[in-house]
Amino acid sequence: MSFLSIEDVSFRYQGKNAVINQANWEIEKGEFHCLLGKSGCGKTTLLKIASGLLPPNEGRVYLQGKELTEPSHECGFVFQSPALLEWKTVMDNVLLPVVLRRKTTPEDREKAVALLELVGLCDYLNRHPAQLSGGQQSRVALARALIQKPSMMFLDEPFASLDAITREELQEDLLKICQLEGTTVLFITHDISEAVYLADRVAVMEQGEIIYEADVNLLKPRTVEMRYDPNFNELCLKVRQVMGGGV
Amino acid sequence: MMKNVQLYSFLLFIVLIVSWEITAGNMSELVLPAPSVIFFTLIDGIKSGYFLPHITRTAAEIVLGLFLGSLFGFVIGLLMGEIEFLRKLLFPYVIASQAVPKLALAPLFILWFGFGMTSKVVITALICFFPLLENTVTSIQYMDKQKIELFRMLKASRWQTLIHLKIPAGMPGILAGLRVAVVLAVVGAVVGEFIGGSEGLGAVIIASQAMMDTPLMFASLLLLTIMGMGLYQLVNIIEKIWLKPYKKGSKK
Repeated sequence: MSFLSIEDVSFRYQGKNAVINQANWEIEKGEFHCLLGKSGCGKTTLLKIASGLLPPNEGRVYLQGKELTEPSHECGFVFQSPALLEWKTVMDNVLLPVVLRRKTTPEDREKAVALLELVGLCDYLNRHPAQLSGGQQSRVALARALIQKPSMMFLDEPFASLDAITREELQEDLLKICQLEGTTVLFITHDISEAVYLADRVAVMEQGEIIYEADVNLLKPRTVEMRYDPNFNELCLKVRQVMGGGV
Repeated sequence: MMKNVQLYSFLLFIVLIVSWEITAGNMSELVLPAPSVIFFTLIDGIKSGYFLPHITRTAAEIVLGLFLGSLFGFVIGLLMGEIEFLRKLLFPYVIASQAVPKLALAPLFILWFGFGMTSKVVITALICFFPLLENTVTSIQYMDKQKIELFRMLKASRWQTLIHLKIPAGMPGILAGLRVAVVLAVVGAVVGEFIGGSEGLGAVIIASQAMMDTPLMFASLLLLTIMGMGLYQLVNIIEKIWLKPYKKGSKK
């Protein structure tokens, strides 16, 4: 039994063509999968279905063997924008998932500090989001998604609006944290090298269908040098060709 | 540069006062009393305790009316923002009631609630109600979609979403409504006193008109202006403190 399995999922907005057409996908425990696709190919919709935010018209999603019909506390979600609450401090933003469930304990605060330390923001606990750079905001969003120790993480192009160097740093952080916690990840992006660098397995989506899947046989942990490795580039090229647009 | 502008602004004030003083020198006090005359009338009135009951009365009406009107506006705004059925049911009436000149209802309220304080508080509350209602309804409805999804992902209840997301996120808009309400509150209370009442600064203005005591009229006007400005500044301060974290680039 896979950790997360998406079975024959279809979705259409009323009276329109299918956004997702008969998608199937399996993720084993602890694996990092990337779903690639151009804008508007339905990848965000698939992610929302996979996380229980959106019920599919057809098909089912199973998390650890149980059918997923609504969001679960087992899952963390990082959105395209950091979606931080401007009126709360960095610390309180990270603690939000806990606050919504119960009273926070000193242990929760320790955990939040530890997470913020992990993403390099331990000096910013009492700042507000408006005082942070885009990269720092994304880090806070990442820490917030991790506070409940999710066994499954969904990320929707979380680093798309960041500059190249910051993005690389955050990719490193994400890989490090997920390896540490053994988190299963479904990551969505339109950036081929990001997908290949992060993932154990990549898939390409086009017009609501998964048209290509491949394992990424690169060593782990990944290093910066790997980005310039011939193997790495070959994989990127292959994916690029699948994505079309004349190469 | 900004400092200079403030200085010029103050100089302009001095120039205006001085030219008023000079102009008033050639005119009857009945038409245009000089600032100095108004000032001494004001000081005398405060010293003798003449103004005190009127100030307290008007201030009480403003504060009570503002509080009640804003509170009801806010709560009903929340209900209408949250419950679509209620919003669709009531919105046509809210829009229609906007067209009613609410101050024109003042005589009716005097008839219903008497010449005492109640009628003025009701008028003030009614006039403060609408800006809060409208701003609250619109402010809590248009939320960042990803924040709403975040709260759904975290399995927040409707109540939690309201308390932790919609109200704080809508606060800038809601406070803007309060700022409008504050200014209107002074108008509401004074108009109420114009129409019926023997206490309050509005009543003093009407009485001074009857007595042809123009300096007294100006002195009351000055007091009302100070009260209005004080309240407005208070809301500004609340806004500044509350909304500080929302602003980009604010330093701790």
